[in-house]
Amino acid sequence: MIETHHLSKVYSRGLYALRDLTLTIEKAEFVFLTGPSGAGKSTFLRLLLLQERPSEGEVFVNGQNLATLSRSEIQEYRRGIGFIFQDFKLIPSRTVLENISFVPEVLGVPAAQQRRRAFQVLKWVGLQHRMNAYPHDLSGGEQQRIAIARALVNDPVLVIADEPTGNLDPDLSLEIMNLLREINAGGTTVLVATHDRELIRLVGRRTITLEQGKVVEVA
Amino acid sequence: MRSVEYAFRQGGASLWRSRGSSAFAVLAIALALIVLGALLIVTWNAEQLIAQWSSAAEFSVYLRDDATSDQRGAIETAIDQSGLANGRDFVSKAEAFTRFRREFAELSELTTGFDENPFPASIEVRVRPGAEHESAEALVRRLITMPGVADARYDRDWLNRVGAGLGTVRAAGFALALLMAVAAAVTVATVVRLGLRARREELEIMELVGAPLAFIRGPFVAEGFLQGGIGALLAMTALWVGFLVAMAWWGTDLNNLLGGGSVQFLPIRLCLYLILGGMLVGSAGGLVAARDAA
Repeated sequence: MIETHHLSKVYSRGLYALRDLTLTIEKAEFVFLTGPSGAGKSTFLRLLLLQERPSEGEVFVNGQNLATLSRSEIQEYRRGIGFIFQDFKLIPSRTVLENISFVPEVLGVPAAQQRRRAFQVLKWVGLQHRMNAYPHDLSGGEQQRIAIARALVNDPVLVIADEPTGNLDPDLSLEIMNLLREINAGGTTVLVATHDRELIRLVGRRTITLEQGKVVEVA
Repeated sequence: MRSVEYAFRQGGASLWRSRGSSAFAVLAIALALIVLGALLIVTWNAEQLIAQWSSAAEFSVYLRDDATSDQRGAIETAIDQSGLANGRDFVSKAEAFTRFRREFAELSELTTGFDENPFPASIEVRVRPGAEHESAEALVRRLITMPGVADARYDRDWLNRVGAGLGTVRAAGFALALLMAVAAAVTVATVVRLGLRARREELEIMELVGAPLAFIRGPFVAEGFLQGGIGALLAMTALWVGFLVAMAWWGTDLNNLLGGGSVQFLPIRLCLYLILGGMLVGSAGGLVAARDAA
């Protein structure tokens, strides 16, 4: 699913965020990416989302070399990825249902289909009764479940989560992880960046540890 | 089609949200179009007047004192057969003398002391409306060479000068309107960009989910388009009200200036062009701002 070959990302003044990273993540795999702050976890995810370009090396997703994608191919590629962030990134002026249906809406899906798909994923995360609420009316855990629903509404082949439990207490964190495990059980590849070692231990999946931009352990 | 519908829905909503700052952009476009529209009303009416004067053009063929009636007949035949004349009048030497003394009474002393009448007889020819000026000038050049003709005058210089002056006024006005349009587009871009910053997170999500550019940038272009459209309609309304007020106050004087014709508001076609222009200026501003979106 994801392959990198000698991937490096250098910022100004020669500072390496990632250095010579070569790794493989299989299709339908659930993988944790961990390491201390500044290890390069978020940079790796940004490269996967094509928010940044590598300085050296290559990234292949589903056999596609990301460096060769045109603008329209990047848009097409991103439609197959669901993303979840620590700060949820919900639109405050839209209701819960609108936050989710926003994704199919901007992809040109007909209105009735947008709402149907949004409601389905909302029901899946168990928040259908909150569909008309606004993000500021929800708890942190509920907001992250909405963000997960939004990530799933487009039926992605890959879900990328950057510190999805960073703002949540341990019980809610486990609840979110269970949702991600369920997504993975359906055949979707899930890549979670987190520095929460306890959570990784509880979920118990393959873990890639980064330090100073290098892979130091795969367990 | 869905992207257009989305763009106008979001653009309209954004316009409403930022209605305070959008009012400046709308006003800037309206002012640019009021200047251009007022200029067009003046120049359009002046052009109608020039066209009217042009169609009423005349030329005079002055006869030598010793011109025979045969020669005069040949000249009149040449004029009639040219197909350019709408009519002609023969003005005898005596009539020319009387006319001068009547029309230039203050100069009548100049005519005393002559042993004989110094004014030549002439044939005044009214040029057919729609006749080409070049053809009329060619006829005049031919008539000058005919026996019995002392001179011929087809003086269109002043009309050409008025036309050229009007062209200069129009060019200066267009330049001013263009400058104002650029300023209006910059104002639109600034206002739209403010809205864009407020929606930065939404745009980031749109980019991440792979939304097409039409969905990302479209709402900002639509917002500029709507600002331009509203500004243009505002300008048209202001121009129309201004026109009615001007006609109520100075209508008689202005109509007299046009020699009995009536001053007209801009034709529908030009009004539509101006509205379209406003929308284009607004869209251009929106497009400039939208480039920051993705």
